[in-house]
Amino acid sequence: MTTRIIDVHAHLGPWFFGPDRGSTADNLRSMDAHDIDIQLVSGVEAVTYDAVSGNPALAAAITGQDRLRGMFVVDPRFLGEGETQLDELLPSGLFLGAKIHTDYAATPAGSPQMADALRLCAERKLPVLVHSWGTQLLDLAETVAQVDDVQVIAGHMGGPAWRLAPEAIRRTDRLWLEPGYSQPEADRIRWVLDRAGPERILFGTDSTLIDPALAVGAFRAAGLDEHEEHLIMHRNAERLFGL
Amino acid sequence: MILDCDLLIGRDITTGRRLTAADMQTRLEAAGIAGGAVSGLRALSYDPETGNREADDASRTFGWTFVCGVDLRNPVDAESRMAAAADRGTRLVRFATTRQGIPGTAPRLRLLTRRATALGLAVLVEGSTRSVGLAMMGLGATVVFLDQHFYDAGEFILAAREEPGFHASTRLLGGPDAWETISEHVGAQRLVFGARSGWSEEHSALERLRSSGLDATQQGLVTSGNLLRLSGGPR
Repeated sequence: MTTRIIDVHAHLGPWFFGPDRGSTADNLRSMDAHDIDIQLVSGVEAVTYDAVSGNPALAAAITGQDRLRGMFVVDPRFLGEGETQLDELLPSGLFLGAKIHTDYAATPAGSPQMADALRLCAERKLPVLVHSWGTQLLDLAETVAQVDDVQVIAGHMGGPAWRLAPEAIRRTDRLWLEPGYSQPEADRIRWVLDRAGPERILFGTDSTLIDPALAVGAFRAAGLDEHEEHLIMHRNAERLFGL
Repeated sequence: MILDCDLLIGRDITTGRRLTAADMQTRLEAAGIAGGAVSGLRALSYDPETGNREADDASRTFGWTFVCGVDLRNPVDAESRMAAAADRGTRLVRFATTRQGIPGTAPRLRLLTRRATALGLAVLVEGSTRSVGLAMMGLGATVVFLDQHFYDAGEFILAAREEPGFHASTRLLGGPDAWETISEHVGAQRLVFGARSGWSEEHSALERLRSSGLDATQQGLVTSGNLLRLSGGPR
């Protein structure tokens, strides 16, 4: 691929599965291997352990790194803490969006707490990447439809429930799809693309948990035409995040 | 040369998709994959007799390696079918544990693995060390775990140190450094290129291969050398 590539689903920090990748240099090396220009990263520490310590740690790590832009992790169970921290960190300009993980934060996509968290993000004009898995993809779409002005990317596109993706985006015009997945089924992206349209899909990898090769290969297999490629690989992200 | 150790032809009842042998060949050619080891979904899902015949015919037509499919839901039949296949010179058998609803704790899995080992068969198992590995340890078995996820790569390394016959397919080893870490700890001879082409996204596995940190010798083992060793060489 020769077009600009923006990866809307990435992380920074070490993972517990084994790879000793935790520095910005690790992200950049992986990005270079796959011609990725910009990654939107959330802190692994913030997602898997503690947003209070993980968000500022990420801010420190990406300061001065033009190719790494932050995704502020919101824990819907502790919105007060999140609001306070947003007041402190958003003025830095390092964070372009928010990230919510339904499992780690033990907050189902269809819960009132999720709606409140999305409302907070909408008030701060932060597009939100929400981990979506299984039929929760449809619950997420319903919640998004209830929250005025929020713009949400369904991370993983439901994972194994990806065939629900076209139905999910029919329920609201403020939901986008990011299909990063460690077990990619054949022809999945083309199937969804033909039903959802290229305006509703964004390129994402779940790096540094998953090697970007999986997403790059899956999008290559989809045989994107030039129009689709520009929208999916960068223009949709540019519009959503003001890049 | 790239060979896929995890080829399946036929219809998958869960997704409703079907892939004929001709479709598979077209797909492999488009991806630059020269062939591989094939089982029939008909054998794994419905009827081992006709399903294996279908896969064997396809393997002869397209130069693939036939993998005997057995139904673990009928372990007595599976045992005799493995013996007959070994008599005919087949070297690979596929255990579809997940597809057939057989847990790793079922005694038949260990008993049939022991029987396969005695027959000189290498077992391609739908599962990982985490899900079925315990049943296969301590038997001197040759096994390729077709669903070894990179989350459990560390467990594979520990198990492979004790089990010289343990191998992992690359299909779900999509973490950064998973191929390289396994190669570093137990050698590239334990990794077998598997993509489950046509069902799983083969271009993802191929892109991972392209960007891997393995040297040319290691890549040669992973992409073809190890499978040829396990299957007894080109057909």
